Amino acid sequence: MENKDNRIGEVVEATTTSFISQCYKLYNSPHLGSLIKTGGPYPTYGIVYNIITQGIDPSRKPVVRGINSSSEEEVYRLNPQLEHLLRTDFYSVSIGYIQGDNIIYHLPPAPPPIYSFVQKCDGLDLINFSSRLEFIKILCSSGIPALDEVISAFIRNLADSQQDKENFLINVGKELIYAFPGDFRKMESILQKVLS
Amino acid sequence: MSLDLHKIALQIDNVASRIQQKEFDRLLNLESTLSLFNGASPSELEIKRANSNIGFLVPRILESMSSSYPCQDTPKDYTVLAADGSHIDVDRHLAMQCYLINIGTVLIKYGENPGASLTNDPQLHTNENGLKITDEHSSRHQDIEGPLLGILRTIEEMKAIIKLVEEADKSKPILALVDGTLILWGIIGQAYPGFVRKALLENGIIDTFNQLRDLSRTRKLALAAYVSLPRSTEIVNLLRIDPAVCPYEEANCEANCGSLSFGSRPCDSLTGILDRDIFSNILAEGERSDIFASTIDLHYGEHAVYFYYLNTGSEIARIEIPKWVANDQELLAMTHSLALDQSNLGHGYPVAISEAHEQAVLTMGDREEFRSLVERYLGNKNLPVYTSLKNQSKKLKWL
Repeated sequence: MENKDNRIGEVVEATTTSFISQCYKLYNSPHLGSLIKTGGPYPTYGIVYNIITQGIDPSRKPVVRGINSSSEEEVYRLNPQLEHLLRTDFYSVSIGYIQGDNIIYHLPPAPPPIYSFVQKCDGLDLINFSSRLEFIKILCSSGIPALDEVISAFIRNLADSQQDKENFLINVGKELIYAFPGDFRKMESILQKVLS
Repeated sequence: MSLDLHKIALQIDNVASRIQQKEFDRLLNLESTLSLFNGASPSELEIKRANSNIGFLVPRILESMSSSYPCQDTPKDYTVLAADGSHIDVDRHLAMQCYLINIGTVLIKYGENPGASLTNDPQLHTNENGLKITDEHSSRHQDIEGPLLGILRTIEEMKAIIKLVEEADKSKPILALVDGTLILWGIIGQAYPGFVRKALLENGIIDTFNQLRDLSRTRKLALAAYVSLPRSTEIVNLLRIDPAVCPYEEANCEANCGSLSFGSRPCDSLTGILDRDIFSNILAEGERSDIFASTIDLHYGEHAVYFYYLNTGSEIARIEIPKWVANDQELLAMTHSLALDQSNLGHGYPVAISEAHEQAVLTMGDREEFRSLVERYLGNKNLPVYTSLKNQSKKLKWL
């Protein structure tokens, strides 16, 4: 069930493996490694792996404005139009979808339609989603940039919502061994980031 | 074939050399023009202007002419509104006879609760909702296209400003900014029939001015037009009739100098000097000039155009205001301080006008998309999508 308060934007570009969402409010993106959920016929779970803020019109580059301002906030206060001329987009990798009452840990049969609502997942969503760990394999093979950082940030988010955090992390570690067979250094790097 | 840049480069080089020499002469003339300006007697000039029959546009002097006025306090809380337009003209090569006006509007609130609204409103006009101005008393009509469409677009921009004023918080000062001029230059010199002039002036631009004036009675509202890099020479024209230049008691250009060739009249020494050249030497950063009344007669009545020059720090801009703003010291000061503030916020050009332009602008891509859209929709309804062979030839570019 969609929680309207958690709605943060809409899908503006989608492929089989990933999708881009535009935030309703400038800079109001979920953080790196956050779990989000779309609408559409195959409500899709995604993990945020890239956030970008830029001018809405690609031919207009932002220029410096604050040389005489006392704070960064003042720059926005003195230029209220900026909220309408800049946009924040976040890129998500698809790692599962909802079918009926079940979470399917595969890529969705079709990507979310453009303008699908996108919402942040709350604590209950995180617990439900992490009841099985098959998503780790999809995520690890996704080829997204800064993969280690995204995986570790996501696992940290999930771990914080667990009752038995230690047991959860042990199980995650096992999945990572399968995902990166023989690559001990990569696994160590991810786990260090998770625990830091 | 593409433009032969080698051939044109030589021509540009020749012209650049001539411009260089002219610029040297102009700077020499500017010095004497400045002495003339500073020594001129406003009252004598005004009397001579009023009694003369001058062949060029000379403004009325209200009091002094070479004073400068610093900017008064800028209100912290204010709203600025601007509208700008762009259009696609009637194209007989297009399958549907139509024109499109795209009006971009901007409302920006500054102060305690800052905010902004940026919109654009494209309006399609076809045979069904008017490609002609018709005379209600006869069968006469005038097709809307070319310069006439440009004039109508200006009127639509003013109508959009009225809507913005009605939406704005009336408890805060409001500056309605227009890009360019308040003078409907497009109508001057055109032999439009009476019913067209009435539609454009009395029922058009003047009607919008009247509505704004009415709105200004219930809120602190000023209207101003901002001319960037003005090429006006009205103040220079005033100096042309100065006794030190024009030896005649009454400056009757046709009678006194009509037989002289261009360049040999006494006042030709001022040719090439612009008003902004004078005021860039008079006004310090942030200061405005005296106010002058344009003598162009479009029967604007209480909206008659007055103007002053403003040193924004980046350029000398010309600010045009209606008479009712010029006569209200508070509103006048508001146009001065807020136009300056807008220019500072917009890196030398008012941010509201700049953003309204961005909202309104129709790129080449937009124009092509519009053309395709028309053809697609007509095609979907099984209507003939024909175009001229000339247009097809341009599209195909066959060899």
